[in-house]
Amino acid sequence: MTSSPAGGKEEKSLVKMAGVHKWFGKVHALKGVDFEVRHSEIVGLVGDNGAGKSTLIKVLSGYHLADKGEINFEGKRVNITSSLDARKLGIETVYQEQALAPNMSISRNIFMGRELVRSLGFMDKKAMDGGSMEALKSIGLHLRSPDALIAMLSGGERQGVAIARVLHFKAKLVILDEPTIALSVKEAQQVLEFIKQLRKEGISVVFITHNLYHVFPSADRFVVLTRGEKIADVEKKGTSIDELAELIVKPPSHN
Amino acid sequence: MWETERVNEDSQAVIAVLSRKLLKFFSYRAADTLVVFIGLALIFTFFTPHHLFIDPRNIKALAKLTPDLGIVALGIGMLMICGEFDLSVGAVLPFCSYIFVVLSRAGMNLVFSLGIAMGVGALLGLLNGLITVKGHIPSFIATLGTMMFWRGVLYVHSLMWPIGIRAYLPAGSSFEHVLTGEIGGVLPAQVVWFVVFGLVLGVVLHFHKFGNWVYATGDNKEAARAMGINTDRVKMICFMIVGILCAFVGVMQLLRLGSFAATQGLGFELKAIAASVVGGTFLMGGVGSIAGVFLGALTIQILENGLILMRVPVFGISAFIGLAIILFVVLNTYMRRRMIR
Repeated sequence: MTSSPAGGKEEKSLVKMAGVHKWFGKVHALKGVDFEVRHSEIVGLVGDNGAGKSTLIKVLSGYHLADKGEINFEGKRVNITSSLDARKLGIETVYQEQALAPNMSISRNIFMGRELVRSLGFMDKKAMDGGSMEALKSIGLHLRSPDALIAMLSGGERQGVAIARVLHFKAKLVILDEPTIALSVKEAQQVLEFIKQLRKEGISVVFITHNLYHVFPSADRFVVLTRGEKIADVEKKGTSIDELAELIVKPPSHN
Repeated sequence: MWETERVNEDSQAVIAVLSRKLLKFFSYRAADTLVVFIGLALIFTFFTPHHLFIDPRNIKALAKLTPDLGIVALGIGMLMICGEFDLSVGAVLPFCSYIFVVLSRAGMNLVFSLGIAMGVGALLGLLNGLITVKGHIPSFIATLGTMMFWRGVLYVHSLMWPIGIRAYLPAGSSFEHVLTGEIGGVLPAQVVWFVVFGLVLGVVLHFHKFGNWVYATGDNKEAARAMGINTDRVKMICFMIVGILCAFVGVMQLLRLGSFAATQGLGFELKAIAASVVGGTFLMGGVGSIAGVFLGALTIQILENGLILMRVPVFGISAFIGLAIILFVVLNTYMRRRMIR
C-alpha cells in the first residue's frame, strides 16, 4: 500500500479491531469488541479483573486466535496467528514477569532471541552493548554497564530494559500488560516516563491496568471493558478518574 | 609528616583498587572454584605421604582419568544451564562403548565405528530430550527411566561379559594414538581432548547465539519463548551433546582399559552433576560457565585422588565429596547474593 500521509480516516489508525469475539468453552470472553489505536497514541485499556482486557490484547499479540472479527493494521486486513506474526507487523508485548532473564546481562536480555551476529552465528558483543546503551538512553534510563545483571536492577529499571528492547526493534505498537503492578510509587513514575518517551519516538502504546491513577496522567484515551464488552471509549479531555472508576464497576446495561 | 599522610592515602587507594579487583575476580563464576582447586592441590601436595600427590606418576594417572568424567561433565554442565538433568549418562556411556566394540569386532573401520557409536549417543540423547520436552516430564525422572532401561538392555544383551579388544585391535594403532596416546611421551591425549571439548563448548556457550539461548532457556523459559527462542529445540540439542560426549568418552575409556565393561561410567551421573555444581552451575539453570565446570571436574577428581593418597577409607571419601558439594553450594549462593546485593 502506497500511503499518502495526509490520508483519510483509515490512515489515522494504526490498529483497528472490529467485532472481535472469543469463547473459552462456554465462556464468552469477548462479545464483539471494537478497539482502535491511532498513531503515536497512548491508550489506557482498563477494566476489572476478568473484564477481557488480557484476552483482547492476547488476540492482538497472536497468543489467542479470535473466533470472529477482523483486525486491520495500517489499513490492511491482517491475520495474526502467532506472536511471530504480531512481531513481524511491529506489535510487541511486554508482559509483567516473563520478559527478562534475571541472571543474564542487560545487553544479552535486550537481544535475546535476536542476537546481533558477525559470522557463523557468533555474537557481536560490541554492537549489542552499544545498541543496548543507546536504546536505554533513548528512553531516559542511564545504567552503568550493559553487562550488569537484570537481578541487580530495581523493578522500574527492569521494566525500562524491557521497554528499551521493543524500542530498539522498531516496534510500532507496544502493549504493556500491567507494567506498574509490582512497583513502588517512584518506580511506577519512572515507568510512566519511559512510556511517554515511546510516544515521543512515534510508537503507539496500549497500557493495560486496573490502577487508574497510574494510567490517567499518561494516556490520551481510555477504553473500558466490562464482562467482555466495551462500555466506554473516551478521550482524556472528556472524562475524569472518578467517572472512569464508576464506569469500571458499573455492570453493562442491556436494553 | 605530610609525607606519611600522603603515603597513607596512596596505600588506601591501592587497597580500594585491589579490593575492587578482588571483588570483580570473585564475580566470575569460576573464581571460587579456582581458589578451592588451588587450595586443595596445595593441601594434598603437602599432606600426602612422601608428597605422593605431585609425584609425576600420580599426575599422569590423574591426567588420564580426569578427562573421562570431565568431558561428560562439560555436557552435563551445559545441559544444567539450560535447566535440565541427565541421569542416564552412566548407562548411555557403556551402551555406546558396547556398540563400538561390537561393530569394530565385526571388522568395521574404527573411525566409522566411533562415528556410529557417537550417532547412537546422539540418538539416545535426543530420546531423553523428546521424552522430557514433549512428554512434559521432569528430566530427572525421564532420564532416571532411560538410565535403568538402557542399562537393563545392555546387561541382558552383553550378558555383562567383558570384551577384550586386544584380540582384534593390537595396541599402538594410529586410531588409539589419537584418542589415548601420549604427546611427546608426556601429555596424555585425553587431556588434549578434554581441553578441546572445553574450548569448543566454552566458545559456543559464551560467544555463540546458541549459548545465549541456552542461558535464556534455563534462566527464564517463558521469556525466552516469548522472544522467539525454540526452547524445546535448545534443550534437545543439549541432551544430544551429552549423548555424543558420553559415546566419545565410552570409546576413549574402552581403549584405555583395553576391554569393554558393562560397568563403565557407573556413578558418572551424580559425579558429573557434582562437578557442575562445584563449578558454580545452578541446579535451577541459567547460571554456570564452562570454565567452572572444567575446574569443578578437576576439583572432584583431585579431592578423590588426594584423599585416597592420604589413606582415607573409600567410604569416607564419599562423605568428603558430599561435604564439599554442600559447602560449595553454600559458598556460591552466598557470593551470588553479595554480588546482587
